[in-house]
Amino acid sequence: MSKPPDFRFFSLIVRNLTNRPYRNIATVFAFAIIAGTFFSSQYLMSGAQQSLDTGISRMGADILVVPEDYAGAGQTVILSGTPSSFFFADSGFEKISRIHGVAKASPQIYIATLFASCCAAPVQMIAIDPERDFTISTWLKKNPEVKIGKDDIIIGSAIIQDVGKDLMFYGHTFHVVGVLEQTGMGVDNAVFTRFEDAYVMAAESGEKAVKKLTIPEGMVSAVLVKVDPGTSPAAVASEIMTQVPGTKVIMSNGLLNAVSGQLGATTRILYSASLAVTIVSIPLLGLISVMVAHERKKEVSILRALGASKSFVVRLMLAESFSLAIIGGFIGIGASAGILMIYQDFIRITLKIPFIIPSPTAMLVQGGSALLLSIVIGGIASLYPVFLITRSAPYETIRGG
Amino acid sequence: MIKVSGVTKTFRTGSSEIQAVDDVHLAVQPGEFILIFGRSGSGKSTLLGMLAGLIRPTNGEIRINGVDIGNLSDDKISELRAKEIGFVFQFSGLLPTVTVLENVLVPTLFCKNSPGSRSRALELLKKVGVSDRADAYPRTLSSGEMKRVAIARALINGPSLLIADEPTGDLDVDTEIEIMELFRQLNCEGTTIVMVTHNPDLIHYGTQTYCMDRGKMVKRPESSSFNKWEPGPDTHLKPKDVP
Repeated sequence: MSKPPDFRFFSLIVRNLTNRPYRNIATVFAFAIIAGTFFSSQYLMSGAQQSLDTGISRMGADILVVPEDYAGAGQTVILSGTPSSFFFADSGFEKISRIHGVAKASPQIYIATLFASCCAAPVQMIAIDPERDFTISTWLKKNPEVKIGKDDIIIGSAIIQDVGKDLMFYGHTFHVVGVLEQTGMGVDNAVFTRFEDAYVMAAESGEKAVKKLTIPEGMVSAVLVKVDPGTSPAAVASEIMTQVPGTKVIMSNGLLNAVSGQLGATTRILYSASLAVTIVSIPLLGLISVMVAHERKKEVSILRALGASKSFVVRLMLAESFSLAIIGGFIGIGASAGILMIYQDFIRITLKIPFIIPSPTAMLVQGGSALLLSIVIGGIASLYPVFLITRSAPYETIRGG
Repeated sequence: MIKVSGVTKTFRTGSSEIQAVDDVHLAVQPGEFILIFGRSGSGKSTLLGMLAGLIRPTNGEIRINGVDIGNLSDDKISELRAKEIGFVFQFSGLLPTVTVLENVLVPTLFCKNSPGSRSRALELLKKVGVSDRADAYPRTLSSGEMKRVAIARALINGPSLLIADEPTGDLDVDTEIEIMELFRQLNCEGTTIVMVTHNPDLIHYGTQTYCMDRGKMVKRPESSSFNKWEPGPDTHLKPKDVP
């Protein structure tokens, strides 16, 4: 058995890459930009989609009924948690409960709070009827067996407070008994309490708070509806709008459309950025490649004179190009992932989209596809040098000085 | 060992043709030190390129150890070049991104079952007198040191033939003598060498000397009258002149 060589193909690649730092750093940077922007686009879209899927599935409701004039506000509450207060007659809830195909109906009252110690901005308080609610209990991450009692609240994952501690809204002290799992949607910034406590808080607010809160008696903000198995949510939604005038229904596909609309502008910007970066980077890489081809013609001719075949030279050029693409790809993906994770909340708030960090599998797929794009572009960029070098006459090049 | 029979090389540039090598016959036996003289553009370097399989002849045949290299694929001829031929260029031809020791080891990448190893590379560097520069990069070497490293690199795979294309062309006189003495030593140890040069002062190093003029191989003059010698039509080497 022959002994392994003391100098390997891989060693030559490493030396060629590390000892031409300036040119290779520029190339790596170009690949990093391409991979980073592509990964960011994929990551944000996937994070928004996953957030929406998670949020909607956890909501457990097929239909959300809100006052006709507040359909947009209702969507905003669910998607981004922007605080809002609106109401319609409680009688509507009774009618909805009796509509054929409605399995469960749960009323909610939305109250935009004032500034509180927990939070940098007002939060959305949602009053529920624990006897009829079918959503909150399934979302509990901490203290899942808890029942919400007098002056108890369950808080969204973005609200900074521990179970067992107190929070004050409108001068009323509430006791945190549970924390919801993160969804990336508006519910992360919401606080859930009972109807009775919301009414008491409103009644006391005139004396205890800087601003009086009014919750009209017999009014609710929204009704969550779960339809009977086998029943079409669309048909039930249509029936609700017919039987309860002045209401608007929001369905999960409507939320998806709303998010897609919000995402659309963002993704268009991201894809445009990716395209622009790619369009700028490919000529840059092409220019670098042409420079490399001319710079290395003599070096490659020497290798040929020393016994390197054309196939060896092609492998060497491609391996170097792919190495730069892979290094650049990893740097771009890693940097993008780091920035996107660190500024996750800022991005979600700025872009007004639901967002949670995509699953590891999704991130692997996104990272893999961004890396693949880099490698493909790296391969394309190396075609010209490979063509030029394999077509050149080595001995004439060597003699050329 | 090498048999060149009626080799011609014509380069075409646009509509014009240049006959760089014209009906050359040459035989090189093992252990010889062949020196080929000639002015610039006489075709000597083109002939060397063909001997190394880097330039394909237009006509004629070149056999190395009985193998007609004109019929070999690129992979096969590259393999033969890696194993059987060591190359020293006019300039050093060292790769700038690898160290001196690694430069010497580069040809082992192209040769199956190469005898080349780190210890052999160090031995060769010692033999050519630059072992103390093994870890240096080429840019830090003098011209003479670079040439010595290039010679060590040419020998790493244990070739049967060393081809040198004006290896002392860019050196000062003292360094030129040192390098030529090194070639002589290698030849004395059994290495076959074919070298081209335009410097007639080196004529005494060769065991066989030839001249090229306008693409033709011509009979060489006596060394004493070399500087005044002018080739003519009657000096063209014919097949019968080649052993």
